[in-house]
Amino acid sequence: MITPRAISACLLLAALALGTLSDALHERAPVILGGYRVLAADFHVHSFPLSGSNLAPWDIVMEARRQGLDAIALTGHDNVWEGRAGRWFSSRFGGPLVLVGEEIHAPGHHVIAVGIHRTISWRLSAAAAIDEVHAQGGIAIAAHPLAGSWPAFAAAMGKLDGTEVVQPTALESEENTAQLRQFYERARAAAIGSSDYHGAGPLGVCRTYVFSRSATEQGILEALRAGRTVVFDRGRIVGDPALIRLAQQDGRLAEPPTPPPGQGLLAALSRTCGLLGLAGIVFFGFRASANGAVPQTGQHSRHSHSARSRGGRGGHAEKTVIEPPSP
Amino acid sequence: MNELLKAHSPEAWVLLRPRAAWPRLAGFAAEGGRWLAWRRPLLFAFVLGCIVSLMTSGRVTLRLAGPATIYWTFVPLCEVASLAAVGARSRRKVPISRAIDLFFMGHGVWFLWLIGFAAVWAFCPAPHAFAWLSKPWVRYGPVFAAIAWSGYIDFWFFRSVFARTRAGAACALLAQRLICWSGALALFLAPSAWTVLASRLGL
Repeated sequence: MITPRAISACLLLAALALGTLSDALHERAPVILGGYRVLAADFHVHSFPLSGSNLAPWDIVMEARRQGLDAIALTGHDNVWEGRAGRWFSSRFGGPLVLVGEEIHAPGHHVIAVGIHRTISWRLSAAAAIDEVHAQGGIAIAAHPLAGSWPAFAAAMGKLDGTEVVQPTALESEENTAQLRQFYERARAAAIGSSDYHGAGPLGVCRTYVFSRSATEQGILEALRAGRTVVFDRGRIVGDPALIRLAQQDGRLAEPPTPPPGQGLLAALSRTCGLLGLAGIVFFGFRASANGAVPQTGQHSRHSHSARSRGGRGGHAEKTVIEPPSP
Repeated sequence: MNELLKAHSPEAWVLLRPRAAWPRLAGFAAEGGRWLAWRRPLLFAFVLGCIVSLMTSGRVTLRLAGPATIYWTFVPLCEVASLAAVGARSRRKVPISRAIDLFFMGHGVWFLWLIGFAAVWAFCPAPHAFAWLSKPWVRYGPVFAAIAWSGYIDFWFFRSVFARTRAGAACALLAQRLICWSGALALFLAPSAWTVLASRLGL
């Protein structure tokens, strides 16, 4: 007889097999527009375990390749070790360009520091933190600058190199979108699209197209300082007007795919089998008792001390008797 | 159907009728020896790994599910540690390995929540998923319902398997939650939470 457990196990195995088979890497040809190398980048990515994300830095690097990203900034919450670990992995085993960064996680505001090498204290004001970022040769991006953080950024508006104009916060509501757009127009800094990746949704769901002179860290930082970025946001395009025209005429740049991640029949079968298999295995994975007997309703028994003292030894199936609790 | 469910899915039986299920499940033998203490925690970690893979890439791939299973073993480890701490002085009716096995049998509600959450990310386009999950009743309703129902399930676990009185079971439940969730959240959110805490306390 085919049991629910066997079916669930088969579904899970099928999901793993199909998912792994469909997990192929698709190399993309470099995009060159107007003499610039256009790099798809995500400048706000967190990793496990200390930044509230699901995956370790090396897993993030491998996933970024599959999501078609040319560059990422690993921005640990008040630490740079995640970026260093990711950069080491990428330099050793290949992958997108990894920039060392930090999300300076102050209570009233968050600043993304990209291209730094030392942790910057969260206790600094936004302006002082940005000065420290620049002293280290990096660039500073206002992270999800909703209205609540505007007072903290008031003294730093002229110092910002970039501001997040689209990220998951904006996807949550039009009000958030409007606030991020207002801040961008006041800051006059480079338009940035980031995923603020913590594990929900794909890496690079919002991304920045950087028009860089070279596919290097310094090239990216120089392009960001010069404001040479374009960001797609649900049919709207934000960024340098000249570069937007260039991108529209060319037509190769586009928003990340809006259908579910993992396109294709194999991926769809994998997630379907996976979800059904998981539901089955968690509810039918193990039987109630060693011999498959059904605990009968109304059955009463007495507690046995000797039975308890024999408990826990390997392979020793024991009968422990128990009184139902009194109401 | 009811009898088939009891025999083949103790998790479903505990999920639907914990007060009736726990005393009878605890009274039955389970094979496995030391493996008994680890099979369900490991399954929990594996489910978490698959969930991470589904949420990130929309498929179950070894590249993501494997490492994520290893990383997220800290969650069942925190649970086992908290259960051992709470159960150290209890008049347990079963050996500790069986107690762990039974405790994880009560995780059906969390599995349902996790699988539902993963299904949203696996099948909905990300912009729609973000917009939909930002609604308070969608974001918080299911998780608070899961917290409440799992609390009820575990309350009757401590009553039946650990032979506690009502007050004792409530204390055990609170202690277990405090130990387990503090440990897990400390690892996961410590740096972020520290800045908020430190600034509020003026440290």
